[in-house]
Amino acid sequence: MPGFSSIGELTSALGRQRYLTDEGLGTVLFLALRLRKPLLVEGEPGVGKTELAKALSAAAGAPLIRLQCYEGIDVHHALYDWDYPRQLLQLRAGGSAPLYSEEFLIRRPLLEALAQPGSVLLIDELDRADDEFEAFLLEFLSDFQVTIPEVGVMRAEVPPTVIITSNRTRDLHEALKRRCLYHWIDHPDLKREVAIARARLPEVGERLAHQVCAFVQDLRWLDLYRSPGVGETLDWAEAFHTLGRDHIDPATADRTLGTLLKERDDLDRIRGKGLEGLVDQAAERANQLRGEGASGGAA
Amino acid sequence: MGQPERARQSLGRADRPGERPPEQAILAAAVDFARTLRSFGLSTSVDSEHVFFSALAEVDLRDRHEVYWAAHATFVHNPDERKAFDVIFERLWGGQPLVLPERSAEHGESDPRMGGPQHGGEALPQYRHEGKSKAALDGGLKNQATRDIPSAEGEEAGANKQLGVLAAWSATETISEKSRLDYANDELAALRQLAEDIKRAAPERQSRRTRPARGGDRLDVRRTVRGSLATDGEAFRLAYTAPRPRPRRLLFLCDVSGSMERYSRVLLASLKAAVGAARKAEAFVFATRLTRLTHSLDGRDLERALEQARASVPDWSGGTRIGQTLAEFNRGFGRRGFARGAIVLIVSDGWDRGDPQTLAGEVRRLQLQARRLVWINPRPMMIDEQPLAIGMRAAMPYIDEFVPGHDPRAVAGLGRLIATLGNERPHRRTLASAPARGPAAAPAGASA
Repeated sequence: MPGFSSIGELTSALGRQRYLTDEGLGTVLFLALRLRKPLLVEGEPGVGKTELAKALSAAAGAPLIRLQCYEGIDVHHALYDWDYPRQLLQLRAGGSAPLYSEEFLIRRPLLEALAQPGSVLLIDELDRADDEFEAFLLEFLSDFQVTIPEVGVMRAEVPPTVIITSNRTRDLHEALKRRCLYHWIDHPDLKREVAIARARLPEVGERLAHQVCAFVQDLRWLDLYRSPGVGETLDWAEAFHTLGRDHIDPATADRTLGTLLKERDDLDRIRGKGLEGLVDQAAERANQLRGEGASGGAA
Repeated sequence: MGQPERARQSLGRADRPGERPPEQAILAAAVDFARTLRSFGLSTSVDSEHVFFSALAEVDLRDRHEVYWAAHATFVHNPDERKAFDVIFERLWGGQPLVLPERSAEHGESDPRMGGPQHGGEALPQYRHEGKSKAALDGGLKNQATRDIPSAEGEEAGANKQLGVLAAWSATETISEKSRLDYANDELAALRQLAEDIKRAAPERQSRRTRPARGGDRLDVRRTVRGSLATDGEAFRLAYTAPRPRPRRLLFLCDVSGSMERYSRVLLASLKAAVGAARKAEAFVFATRLTRLTHSLDGRDLERALEQARASVPDWSGGTRIGQTLAEFNRGFGRRGFARGAIVLIVSDGWDRGDPQTLAGEVRRLQLQARRLVWINPRPMMIDEQPLAIGMRAAMPYIDEFVPGHDPRAVAGLGRLIATLGNERPHRRTLASAPARGPAAAPAGASA
């Protein structure tokens, strides 16, 4: 992983990957790289936790290795396994190669991350795995080495950059948190969300992007069961764009609301509140922001 | 900007002005800062102090944001801790002395995450939970004397505006509300037995992990092949696996308003004794706000949570807002999957001051997530006459098991029921066919 010499350099490199960070995340990520500490990120669904690791690997030109956690994941899924069918064939064919050698070792993500120098290792949704797995991971994260009984100790020459995400369905162990830097990613504010939408969807007009983001920002204040994330904002903007709209209007909003809200209760509630009002409100705020942006740009 | 000067000063001053080399001063400030955080209830360690110190070497010390985020990343492990952290960081940066609060922190009320007296919140009486006062948890009225007398601030506040809080415990009030507060001994005994049953029953669910099993139904290729390597690749013995059973999560939502406090307290205290840390159990208490007992049923945690619950209740006599509480749960913890596949037990008398439709809607929502939704109501006979129980009546169609808590036999039955839950799915009406049962519908089983 090429070093980033300053926080600014790191954030602009991420920006080129169309991942916009705020000051906090930029600083924390920079520290994680410099101190060689795993970074634990938490946040509401859809704020871009997984995306962060992808953007980082792209920005650094480092391979991304992803370990998706789920209930019941164990060493054979996460670390290594033996290629038994090939071992059997070798045995039947009367080959002389030792059966328990690297040749027959299947590298799972964690081992792969040790083998590839300077990779970015994404351990996604760790809270879904069982506690036992977390305890196992602890060992891995502190030394970046694993012991395979038949082969010996395998160690990373250059330890990977580790990003762990969690949705807080359960509390992670203190011991694990202690080994990591921690960051909570919030939903972006209006300005940043517009910037994200513009960066991600260059084809979507500036007016539409502003309006869509303003609308979504308002929704997030409404205490819905499932607040829309950035991903859903982008989907919605794209939906408008695909339907050939350059601004939001109540009728199209009503038809495409399902890209944004995925709970029946939420849909009912928003429709009950009256989409016209919300759309008008969003359009007004979008105009304000665009006005500010224009005058700010002129100054 | 003047920033650099100020930053250096403040970092230095946080320690004590002296002629020490700058690294020393910064190290001392970092350690002081960590200690202060710890005294406010954040979990810090020498490790994290060390990390913070090395992080400071990487950031621009003159930049407030960078220092802030460096500290944030090392010391904050949980979004709930952010508020406390901000306050203390403000002091560090502002160059104010980081005064260590007195050790009253032991009872948790100086934790800024909770509205303690030092932080603009209200003073609260404290109750000790160890040793002999365990009796106060269970025995209640007779053991008023063992109640730990609140600290000076607590008394002072208790004299006037905290009356409402203390009323729940004062003997005179208790007598006038005897009809509500009185639980017969066999009711409480049944409750303890229930905790005992839950411990033994240990409802299970199948996990995706497997274990080697002779009578299993899936071939374990790994072990079979491994075994055959010893016999020249000839698989003489086939190995099988079966799913490993895991304990199913139990989720308790306990009403602690008014008279419910004693009932819930007995249940939670006996659960704590019975369940222990190994079982997957989560408990929340509520009056008007929801409080999680974080370290599953830890006794000290229970006391804290009850204090918080007391503080949030403006008026103890008029029922609670169950609907809102459940909404809070559904939106927060529920969305994160706390209730998914769990056995949910709501312990409440169902006296709800909120909108009955809200309550019904939220109960329905919770039921959709839960494997089984159980409502234990120690005062079921009042459902029909009590105007505050409208919500309870509206929620009845969405409850899988309604257990009248005053009936020891019914409570004992619940223990047996939980034991037999296993993997069987509850028979429920589908959404489409659910009849619109009005609030007037008679609660099934309430008349038992």
